[in-house]
Amino acid sequence: MNLDYPLAHLMGGVILMCAFSMLSQRRLAAMITLYQVQALTLSAAAFWQGFAQGAGDLYLTGLITLVIKGILLPMGMRQIVQRFNMVRAVETAVPVGFSMILGVGLIGIAVLVVLPTTVSAVSLTREDLAISLSVVLLGLLVMTLRRNAIAQVIGFLSTENGLVLAATGMPGMPFVAELSVALLVLLAFLVIGVFLFRIREHFDTLDLVGIEEIERRGR
Amino acid sequence: MNLCLPAVFLPLLAAPAIGVFGTRAQGALANLALNVIVFGFTVGVFFEPGSGLIHADDLGMIFGALTSFVCMTTALSNLGFVWSGNEVLSLRRWRVYHAMCQVVLGSTLLGLYADNIGLLWVAVEGATIAATVGVSLSRTASALEAAWKYFILGGVGIALALFGTMLVYLAAQPALGPGLAAMSFTALGAHATKLDGSLLTLAFVFLLFGYGTKAALVPLHGWLPDAYAEGPIPLTTALSTLMLNVALIAILRFRHLMQANFAGGGGALQPGVFLLTLGLASLLLTAFSLSRRRDARRFFGFSSIEHSGIAVFAFGIGGPAAIFGGLLHMLVHTLIKSALFQALMRGAALRGSAAPGNYSFSHLRGMIHSNKYLGWLLGGCVFALTGLPPSGLFASEFIIISQTIQRDPYVSLPLGLGLVLCAVAIIRHVGPLVFGHAPPHTKHQKAGVGINLAGLQLALGFGIAFAMPWFLLNALSSVAAALQ
Repeated sequence: MNLDYPLAHLMGGVILMCAFSMLSQRRLAAMITLYQVQALTLSAAAFWQGFAQGAGDLYLTGLITLVIKGILLPMGMRQIVQRFNMVRAVETAVPVGFSMILGVGLIGIAVLVVLPTTVSAVSLTREDLAISLSVVLLGLLVMTLRRNAIAQVIGFLSTENGLVLAATGMPGMPFVAELSVALLVLLAFLVIGVFLFRIREHFDTLDLVGIEEIERRGR
Repeated sequence: MNLCLPAVFLPLLAAPAIGVFGTRAQGALANLALNVIVFGFTVGVFFEPGSGLIHADDLGMIFGALTSFVCMTTALSNLGFVWSGNEVLSLRRWRVYHAMCQVVLGSTLLGLYADNIGLLWVAVEGATIAATVGVSLSRTASALEAAWKYFILGGVGIALALFGTMLVYLAAQPALGPGLAAMSFTALGAHATKLDGSLLTLAFVFLLFGYGTKAALVPLHGWLPDAYAEGPIPLTTALSTLMLNVALIAILRFRHLMQANFAGGGGALQPGVFLLTLGLASLLLTAFSLSRRRDARRFFGFSSIEHSGIAVFAFGIGGPAAIFGGLLHMLVHTLIKSALFQALMRGAALRGSAAPGNYSFSHLRGMIHSNKYLGWLLGGCVFALTGLPPSGLFASEFIIISQTIQRDPYVSLPLGLGLVLCAVAIIRHVGPLVFGHAPPHTKHQKAGVGINLAGLQLALGFGIAFAMPWFLLNALSSVAAALQ
C-alpha cells in the first residue's frame, strides 16, 4: 500500500491541530509545548517528504528543523519565560471562544481559496498547500490576538512552520533547505530581540524588580 | 567575468570583519572605502553584466549603480556623523552599525541582481534583519519599540512574500518543470503565458502584500515613520530609498508576469486594480497625515510612502510610458531624498546633535543662519520633493498623469488631488526651514566634508529628468517596454 498520501496528510493534520490549539491556550508554557510538538512533526514530515520524493536536501531541512526548532528554540523560550517569571502572562484581546470561531473561519477560507485554484496541480500538493495556508493564517491570527511579546513570537514561529510545510510539499523545489535556514536566522533574531526587550524593561523599572522579588518570596 | 558577484559579495563578506575589528573611525573609513570599490564594480556591471543566477538586466544595472552611488555619498556624510561623536554608542555598537551598513548594501544589490525569486526573497529578508538591528542600536525605549514594530510587520511581510514565491514556483512548475528554471525571472518572463493563471493571481496577492510591506504601501506602512525617526540617520538614508526600490522593483517584475499572462489568455486577473488601489491609498493617506507631523524625519518618512505610492500607481496604470514614468520617479526620488537626509543630518549636527530626537522642525528652522550653503541645499531638496518644476519629479509625475488621463481617466482626479495636497503640505515647510528665525545662540558654522556631493546629488535630481544621457534613456525605455 502506498503510504505517501496518508502519512503526509496525517502529519499535516497534526501541525494544523497544534496551530489551532495555540488559539485556546492561556499559558505560555503550554503554547511553547504545542510549538515544540508542531516543530517535531514538521521535521518528521520533512523527512518523510525527502524519502517519498527522493530529495536529499529535504533531509537537511528536517534535521535543521529537528535540532533548532524542535529542541533549541523551545529551550530558549522556556528560559526566557522562567527568567522573567511570566508563566501566566498571556493576555488575549478577545474571548477564547470567539478567537476559535475566527480560526475555523480562516481554515475554511484557506481551503476554499486553495482547492479551486490548484485544480491542475498534483493532489498531494493541493491539500498540503491548503493545510499550510491555514497554519500560516492561524499563526498570524495568534499574533494579532495576543498582547504578550513571547506569545506573538510563538505565533510567528507557527506561521513559519506553515511556510516550511508548504515548501517541503512543493515537488522538486530548489533551495528549500537554504530558504528554511534564512527563515531560521530571522527567527533567531526575533527570539534574541524579545530577550533584549525584556531585559531592558526589567532593568529600567527598578520598582518592578522589587515587586517581583516580593512575589517570588510569597509563593 | 561577472562583476555582479564581487559587487554583491564583497560587502557581505567584509561585514563580519568590520563588525569585529577596528575603532570607530577605522570602521567609518573602511565603510567608505568598501562603498567606493562597490560603486566601481556596479559601474563595471554595465560592461560585464554576466549571466546565470546572479546577473544584471538593464533594470538591475541602472538601479544597482544608483544604489551604490547613494550608499557612497551617504558613507562620506557618515564620516561627519561618526566624527561628531554625538550619537553616543559603545565601540561594539559602532562596529555592528558599520557592519549593518555593509549588509544592507550587499543584500540590496543582491535583490537587484538576483535572477531568481528565492534569492530575491533572501536578499529582502537579509536587508530587513540588518536594518532592524541598525534601528535598535541606540537602545532607547523608543528605538526598541520602532525596531520591534519593524521586525514584526517586516517579518509578517516576509512570510507572506515567501508563500507567494512558492506559489509562483507551483504555477510555473507544469510549464517549466521542476528545478531552477521555474524560479528564474528570465525563464518565467519568457513563458509567462503558459503559467497557471489562477495560481499566479493567488501568488500575486501574497507577493503584493509581502513586498508591499517592505515598500511601505498603505495599509502596511506602520513601521516606516518610526524606523526612519529612530534609526541612526545614515542608515535611514539607505533604508528610505534603496530598500523601497528593491521592493518596488520586485512588485514591478511580478506585475509583469501577471500582466503578460492576462494578455496572453493565461487566466490571471489584471494586476492593475490591486496596484491602483494601494497606490492611491498611500498617496491620499500621506496627503492627510503630512500636515500633522512635527519631526522632520517622520515627515519625510511619510513623504517616502507618498512616492512609493506614486510609483506603484504608475505600475498599476501600465503601458511602457507609465512604467517609464514610475521608474524615473523612483530614480529621481532616490537621489533627492538621500540628498535631503544628508542635508538634514548636517543641519542637526550644526544645531547640536545628529542623534534621533533632534530633528523637529522647530529645532531646525532658519538653517540659512547656521550655514548659507546648507540652508539653500536643504530648501532645494524640500522644494524638489514637492514635484514642482524644475524638479525632476515634475517630469515623472507629468508622464504618469498624462498616461493616467489617457488610459484610466477616472482615477486621475484622486491622483491629482493627492499630489496637490502633498505638495502644499511639503512646500509650507520650505520658508520656515530655510529663512525662519533661528533658535537663539545660533552661530554661522562650516558645513563639513562631503556636503558638495549631496549638492551634486540634488543637481542630478533636478537635471536628470530633463537632460537624460542617451544610454540611460535607451536602457530605461527598453526596460519599460519589456516590463509593460
